[in-house]
Amino acid sequence: MIKENAEVVVIGGGVIGVSLAYGMVKKGAKVILIDKVDNRLTASRGNFGLVWVQGKGKGMPRYVEWCIEATEKWPEFAENLETETGFDLNYEKTGGLEICLGEEEYQERINFIEGMSQSSKSGRYDCEMISRKELQSMLPKIKLGKEVSGASFCYHDGCVNPLNLLKAMNSSFQQKGGIYRPEQTVENIECSSNEFKIETGTHSFNAEKLVIAGGLMTTKLAKMVGMEVPVIPERGQILVTERTSRVFNYPTGEIRQNFDGSFMLGSSHEAVDYDTETSYEVLQKIAKRAIRILPNLKNLQLIRSWAALRVLTPDQKPVYLESDQCPGAYAITSHSGVSLASIHSSVLVEWIIEKKIPRGFTDFHPERFNVQEAI
Amino acid sequence: MFKKQYESHESVSIIFEGKRLNVEKGLTVAAALLVSGNTVFRASVVSGEPRAPYCMMGVCFECLIEIDGIPNQRACMAPVREAMKIKRQIKP
Amino acid sequence: MAAAITARAHGLSVLVLDEQPSAGGQIFRNIETLEATRNSEFIKLGKEYEFGSSLVRRFKKSGADYFSDRSVWQIDNNLQIHHVSASSSKNNSVVSHCQAKRLLIAVGAMERPMPLPGWTIPGVMPCTAADVLYKSSGFIPDGKVVLAGSGPLLLLIGCRLLDVGVHVSAFLDTSMNGALLKALPLLPNALRSHKYLTRGLSLLWKIRKAGIPFYSGIQNIEALGSSKLEKVRIRKSGKSFDVKADLLLLHNGVVPNVQITRNLGCEHRWYDVQRYWEPIVDNWGNTSVDDVSIAGDCGRVAGAAISEASGHLAALETVYQLGIISQTERDKLSRTHRIELARHQHVRPFLDKLFQPSKKWLIPEDDKTLACRCEEVNVSEIRETVRMGIKDPDRLKSMTRCGMGYCQARMCGLTVSEIIAEENKVSPEEIGYFRVRSPIRPVTLGQVAEID
Repeated sequence: MIKENAEVVVIGGGVIGVSLAYGMVKKGAKVILIDKVDNRLTASRGNFGLVWVQGKGKGMPRYVEWCIEATEKWPEFAENLETETGFDLNYEKTGGLEICLGEEEYQERINFIEGMSQSSKSGRYDCEMISRKELQSMLPKIKLGKEVSGASFCYHDGCVNPLNLLKAMNSSFQQKGGIYRPEQTVENIECSSNEFKIETGTHSFNAEKLVIAGGLMTTKLAKMVGMEVPVIPERGQILVTERTSRVFNYPTGEIRQNFDGSFMLGSSHEAVDYDTETSYEVLQKIAKRAIRILPNLKNLQLIRSWAALRVLTPDQKPVYLESDQCPGAYAITSHSGVSLASIHSSVLVEWIIEKKIPRGFTDFHPERFNVQEAI
Repeated sequence: MFKKQYESHESVSIIFEGKRLNVEKGLTVAAALLVSGNTVFRASVVSGEPRAPYCMMGVCFECLIEIDGIPNQRACMAPVREAMKIKRQIKP
Repeated sequence: MAAAITARAHGLSVLVLDEQPSAGGQIFRNIETLEATRNSEFIKLGKEYEFGSSLVRRFKKSGADYFSDRSVWQIDNNLQIHHVSASSSKNNSVVSHCQAKRLLIAVGAMERPMPLPGWTIPGVMPCTAADVLYKSSGFIPDGKVVLAGSGPLLLLIGCRLLDVGVHVSAFLDTSMNGALLKALPLLPNALRSHKYLTRGLSLLWKIRKAGIPFYSGIQNIEALGSSKLEKVRIRKSGKSFDVKADLLLLHNGVVPNVQITRNLGCEHRWYDVQRYWEPIVDNWGNTSVDDVSIAGDCGRVAGAAISEASGHLAALETVYQLGIISQTERDKLSRTHRIELARHQHVRPFLDKLFQPSKKWLIPEDDKTLACRCEEVNVSEIRETVRMGIKDPDRLKSMTRCGMGYCQARMCGLTVSEIIAEENKVSPEEIGYFRVRSPIRPVTLGQVAEID
């Protein structure tokens, strides 16, 4: 057994865990980041790279504000990472679209955006509906499909290369003295009055604080320190094409053209447990819809596809929790790890290290799920 | 790089980089271009370095070329056809 | 072809999907046309080709449906197969589907990638490329040719080139020092199939007799040229010298093409002697996935005779699994093929050991060499990334783009496993391989959507 000590042990090397670990070493804390062995279940390598506000947080005003705040911190966050590591994040804040096909979708979108605006108690949420004509003028280099009726456009939205983001945060974390321990399987966690002992197959880690950001493993790990954090997997499949000249300059939730010119297409929402296979039916469905939106895509060659599992709480909004039973242990889960990386690495880190509780933070407590159930 | 051992009887006329080129019928685009003395098919999309057919059997995707307006076709798998328009993929 | 013939003989409906334009695979590429229109060359290729030709004829008469020019891009869990034209990706080229009860994968082998500095320069090719051009188009190399690598195939192709008057300016032998000695313990077994052995030795003798500069104990090979190959720089015994060249033909052995078996989720194991992955099969070719079997070099690389016997055996197994013959009948019918297998298998351990790829040519010493040609990721970048704590190839892929290109890691997959293994001081067996997802071959979005 290799014994190692730290001020903070973070369990989970995905976008959330790494952004927290990164933020903490920047504050001067001694951090060990533990990462798992099974690399097939990681949402951090299978997402769309959106830095998004548009559809997030309906019905939870605190979360809407949280997302807006995160996108405002993003430009500086990206610049710092690029300077620290020399890696390009290809972050762009152009505003984001959700394109509608047909009148019904357009009307549904209008209603949805209204609901979002109402959820933004500060009134800062800035999203509007645009007509087909306006949309086409925003995209002069590519023809819209006949059925495109318009879109919603949100000024806060942007996108990033999520793989480079993960790589850059991990690299900067290690460069700043953070210790990265991959290939670990956490078998047991003991908490005593002033420390935590985390045992894996090969190591025994001691720490004053413990942060659990284990994605789909969070439920199991959080239980070990007296926290109830329900998360379930939801599969999404994505197609990636060959490179072509840049013609589509805004990200959407289902089509985006990467910096290198390849198109990424989604999206799907499937409750298939822990299955990360792709399926012919879904790939075809995604391709069909993408071609309805941008007919010229039909000539592009599909090179890759993948499937990954989103980590969803019952209401799809984050859980940020400190254990009552074992104070000093935290559970963090959110399906917006990329969008919130900027705020996780700053505001959440301040909460964990300096005990600065953000305003309205109790909204993120998982007891809200019990309340909903009771109703 | 490669040469014919003997003259062939049947030929087709293709248009390579805007110029008419007579090539033996039944050849793949890759073979036809190589034997006509063309050694660069494209510029790599990453660095721009010159690339040419490598495996000649459809595995490596090095021989990508524009055929009849469609980019990124495997030249080693496409048989030549009368009036086929072929363009190298070299960014200006 | 053998499997189709046997399956048809027992009344099964058989569809053969072939990416190539005509039957014959790689060894018997373009054999029908060769025999019909280039008969003198056909005869020179030897008795094996006569046999191959008769096999193709029997296949064509067997009643199996044969679709050439088809690329399989997706295989569903229920064995529904989706395929498109291999030669054209115009999106209106027909998308076809086929529901199989059982699937036999016989996609053969491919050249092991031999990354070395300058290997992406036009004029550097694997030696089978010259073989393809010769068989399909009758072309031969023009100008100065350098052959580099090791393995019986390189010797064979080298001799063929000499026979047609190609100017070979150097033969660079990269086989491991002392290889012959190491393989000698296997010799008694091997002598039962002495035909291979004597052929190999005679090829070597032929090359040396032709007076071609023959170098072994080579430390480094580098291809040089601005827009095409101009010379090959060789380092040997601490000294460098250049050889002018118009074509550099490489060969570092042949490895099973596991793209489809990986995509289907078949279990694979690492064959350490020859440093490649092979699907785990029983002695009927059954993989770990129900109703999926393999035959030929896409399992263990063993050459034409063994491939053919394994094809017959896999078909007999399929016929038995589909309830058409009993196990006893299957075993009885398999006897001649098992004898044939045994006859040729004796020399395999010897050959596999003799031509073991050396570490040096699996991972280039010059770490600026590209490991991934498509995305231009060099060895140094891969090593640096692994040192961040990465052991999983897919993880590495997400951090370097290695394996994300058109060839779908066919050219870099083995190299990546080797580098990660070396950095972590473990066997590639422990590292594994990229996950192989659909599409098995690039297809257009229009073909995926099935619209015109």
